[in-house]
Parts: sequence; C-alpha cells; structure tokens
Amino acid sequence: MRIKVWDLPTRVFHWTLFLAVTAAILTGLQGGNWMPWHERAGLLILGLLVFRLIWGLLGSTYARFAQFFPTPRKILAYLRGYWHEEGHNPLGALSVFALLLVLLFQALSGLFSNDDIAFNGPLYDLVSKATSDGLSSLHRQGLWIILALVGLHILAVLFYKLVRGHDLIRPMITGWKPAPSDGSRAASARGGPLWALLLALLLSAAVVWIADGGLLPPPPPPLPASSLPSW
Amino acid sequence: MTNRLRTAALATLAIACIGTATAADLKPEEQIQTRQAGYSFMSWNMGKIKANLDGNYNQAQVEAAANAIAGIANSGMGALYGPGTDKDIGDLKTRVKPELFTDKEGVGEVAVAFIEAANNMAETAALGDEAEVKAAFGKLGESCKACHKKYRKD
Repeated sequence: MRIKVWDLPTRVFHWTLFLAVTAAILTGLQGGNWMPWHERAGLLILGLLVFRLIWGLLGSTYARFAQFFPTPRKILAYLRGYWHEEGHNPLGALSVFALLLVLLFQALSGLFSNDDIAFNGPLYDLVSKATSDGLSSLHRQGLWIILALVGLHILAVLFYKLVRGHDLIRPMITGWKPAPSDGSRAASARGGPLWALLLALLLSAAVVWIADGGLLPPPPPPLPASSLPSW
Repeated sequence: MTNRLRTAALATLAIACIGTATAADLKPEEQIQTRQAGYSFMSWNMGKIKANLDGNYNQAQVEAAANAIAGIANSGMGALYGPGTDKDIGDLKTRVKPELFTDKEGVGEVAVAFIEAANNMAETAALGDEAEVKAAFGKLGESCKACHKKYRKD
C-alpha cells in the first residue's frame, strides 16, 4: 500500500526553488555580468514563494499550512514519540516556515539592494541610498542563514534516510510514499483543484511583475550626449 | 655657468616636489574619505558604462569612463589604508575588515587582479567592440566583488 503525500505543484515548487536558490547564490557571489541573472533568479524565487504561500491555503491536504502548522503541543508530542501523522512532521514544519520566511526576506530585500559596483535591484529607485545600503547588508548576511537552514534541511533528510530508514527524497520526486507499516490509517492527499493552481500562478506572476518595477513610471530617456557639459 | 644654474634650479625644484609629496600625506580620516571618494567615483563611471551597454552605445563616453576608472585603479590607493584607518573615526564609518591590514599577500592578489581588469577595460573601450567591452566590464565588476567579499564587512 502507498499513499500520495506531495502533489505535483508542491514537488515542482520544491525542486525549482532548489535550482533557483543555487543559481542565485552562485551568481550573487560571482558578481559582474552575472548580476542580471542573480536578479532573474531572485524574481523567480519571489514568484515561487508567493505561489507556495497561496498553495499553502488552497493546495492539497499535506501542502496546507493549517495541516502542518507546528504548534508547541505538536512539537512536544513529536519529541516524545507520540506524533504519527503524514506530511511534514512538526520539527520539519518549523524548518519549512523558517526557510520560507528567510527566503521571502531575501527576495524582497534584494529588490531594493545595490552592489556598489554597477547593479541596482529593480525597486532601488523607491528607497534612499542609505536604506538600500542597509538592506544590501542584510541581504548579504541573509546568505549565511540560508546556508545554515538548507544545510540543516539536508542533514535532517540524511538522518531520516540513514538512521531512521525513511526515504524522504523519493516521495518528493514521485509524490508517493509507502503507507505506514503499523496499519494506522492514513489518507492520500486530496484537493488542490485546477482553478486554485491557475489562481496561484496568476497571482505569483502579478507579484513578480510588480517586483520587477511593472508599476514604476518608465525611466526618462537618457540625455543626448550633446546636452551634457563638455567638461 | 648657465648649465650649472639650470642644474641647481632643477635640483631646487626636485626638492620642492619632494616637499609637496609629504604635504600630500593625509590624516587617517582624510585617507578614509579619499578612498571612499575613489570608490564612489569609479562606481559612477561603472554605471555610465552599464547604461551605455544597456542603451545607446556611445564609444567616447565609455572610453572616458573606462579611463577614469583605470586612472584611479593605478593611483596607488593602497596608500590610503594607512595606520589608524582600520576603524570608524567619529561619525566617519568604514566597512574595511581587519584582514585587509594583515593579509598582505591576499590583498596584493585582489589588487593586482583589479588593476589588470581596469587596464583591460580601458584598452578594450578604446578599441570599441561592444561585445568585448561587455565582457571586460563583467570581468572588472567581478574583480570589484572579489575584494568586497574578502575585505569588506557584509
């Protein structure tokens, strides 16, 4: 017997986010002409996060925040070994929310950042240089928090695989996992209709468009060289 | 006689020049202000090159900007990291890391790479091929970032 835990949108979100974050880290550290790619990766990440936030309300069973929201009671029960449900366990859920929040901060702060070299985020014009510098600092420091959280996430997955004998990677690829061997009843994920998927995609695209400066007035045309002082 | 006079005059002039060189010694806070001015001025010129690459390409403006950057890069900015310039002075903030003052070899590497990238940018800008200018611009930006990563506080 097996049950469906992760719907397709959740899985595509997960692996696309992984690729986009990897790309953002590498391009951001390299700088130079990679910065426009860093911006694209950041906008993609923002779109993915907005999608996930909506999917956490409208998606299928185990993708919903209400299903896995880590209350202190659930965390205690899990630590004492009394938690036997499907989906994100309460500790994993903490990690999910932490990653979503930190990545959201990272994506939003990047919109207003500058690198003091030749790159400004798409909403740089909306803030003062001092504010942009402050956000850029936090944006650079955010990298270390993301690396720590991702490292913890990967170590936890390895722990479950090697110590507990639970493969968490395969279900994140196929969506299916073996039904619990203790015979307890667990239901496959339900819900997450097509209209919800389309709505989530549409709203994500709208947010990305705004984040990319879609609502900003178009930049004034550059002054012709002849209008500049010759000195 | 006139030759001897000329030599003497030149010698006096040379001594006078050495005299003004010591007058160019800056106080620590002036060193911090001056190096920051240098980076800001280069950043302005980087922005101009980028604007040209993104929009209408004006070879003369790009060449002028690249020359300005190369001029500053070759001005010996290392002299502006003298004693007492490793931390804030009053309201004057500096984000330099202490490693810049201890890791001589590492600083030398990023500095030489930066100067080479700046010279390459100026040479390429003079030739005027836009694709090559874009590549040189990218390399120059990366050489800025390499130093920021190692020696500037996040």
